[in-house]
Amino acid sequence: MIGDKKSDFERTVRAYSADLYRYAYWLCRDRFVAEELVQEAFARAWKSWQELRDPGAVKAWLITILRNERARMYARKQIPVADEDVSEFEIPDLPSIAENLDLKRQLERLPLAYREPLLLQVLGGYSCGEIASLLNTSEGAIMTRLTRARQALRQDAADPLKREARP
Amino acid sequence: MNCLEFRREKLAEPRRASDAARAHVQECVKCAAFARNVDEGDAELLRAMTVSVPEGLADRVLLRPKRSDFSDWRVWALAASVVAGIGLAAVFVGASPSDAYARLAVAHVIDEPESFTTEYHSDARSVAVALRSVGASVRSPLGKVRYVKLCPWENGTRAWHLVFETPQGLATLIVVADERVRSKSDAFVNGWSARIRPARRGFYAVVTSSPAITGEVDEILRARINWDA
Repeated sequence: MIGDKKSDFERTVRAYSADLYRYAYWLCRDRFVAEELVQEAFARAWKSWQELRDPGAVKAWLITILRNERARMYARKQIPVADEDVSEFEIPDLPSIAENLDLKRQLERLPLAYREPLLLQVLGGYSCGEIASLLNTSEGAIMTRLTRARQALRQDAADPLKREARP
Repeated sequence: MNCLEFRREKLAEPRRASDAARAHVQECVKCAAFARNVDEGDAELLRAMTVSVPEGLADRVLLRPKRSDFSDWRVWALAASVVAGIGLAAVFVGASPSDAYARLAVAHVIDEPESFTTEYHSDARSVAVALRSVGASVRSPLGKVRYVKLCPWENGTRAWHLVFETPQGLATLIVVADERVRSKSDAFVNGWSARIRPARRGFYAVVTSSPAITGEVDEILRARINWDA
């Protein structure tokens, strides 16, 4: 029924557009591009609505679509995707990152390979196994990235000089 | 499980502790403090990640999926309410290559009626970013800008869509990068007037309700914006 399809889609947009926007924002760090990505992702979701087999997995499905749209957008514009590495380091003790007022800036500087699983875990509430499935990689790789992401944030918080020196 | 193993697990999966991790933290005061520290950090992270969402996002998404049956009952209904009596299909009837972009600009304005009723990223920085996309810069303030949005344009490209106040009423400026036009071009389609002019790295379009107003607004734009910066 087309009416059901429309009302299901509208409910889904209203339920998940904010989550998708935040996810898109932290992927691209640009509000305009984030909204564009959300718009494109939902437009494609609407076209493929009949392919959604498990309504309970709609959020993960939308995230996958949004990631694909982002890749398409970057391919069209030939924007290089910087994905620098963060070296291994010891786990630091306090101070807590909660004390750091520059957390948003630190998050923006975090390499995408670390930022994305962290977003999916903290913002999306997904487990390492679920994130691995979304990002098409192993659970072990995700655990390593998440550990390093939190290490990097804590390291930055503990070392303001290093934080300022990073690009 | 030793302290290093516990800490690695806690940093990777803070919300789901294994049995071994739960047993370890019961016995290790330092790791219990570490776990609390990580949990506090994650709460702070969640607050930082929860950026504000643009007002009306869901509505714009629902208005957006063109070329599908979803638009039948939302996009066209809203467009019709704003531009009563205009047959959108007629916008392109009779279009020649010289004014195709002008007609496209009119179609875009008709297709995004919320641009006239919404305030969106109306700050000077957004305007500067939009103009910079075609190599232009502001000579003197444009006046009150109400709406600045990056929109889909044809062939998968994007265009900046601005709405600003003029003495003649609201005017639309569309800025398209990396698409060339050779000279000025005008179109008047079903009550909407558009003028296209080349910019350094693309072109711009002015859309208003009449050719006279479009000409006046275009003069304002040429005086206040350096399109060959």
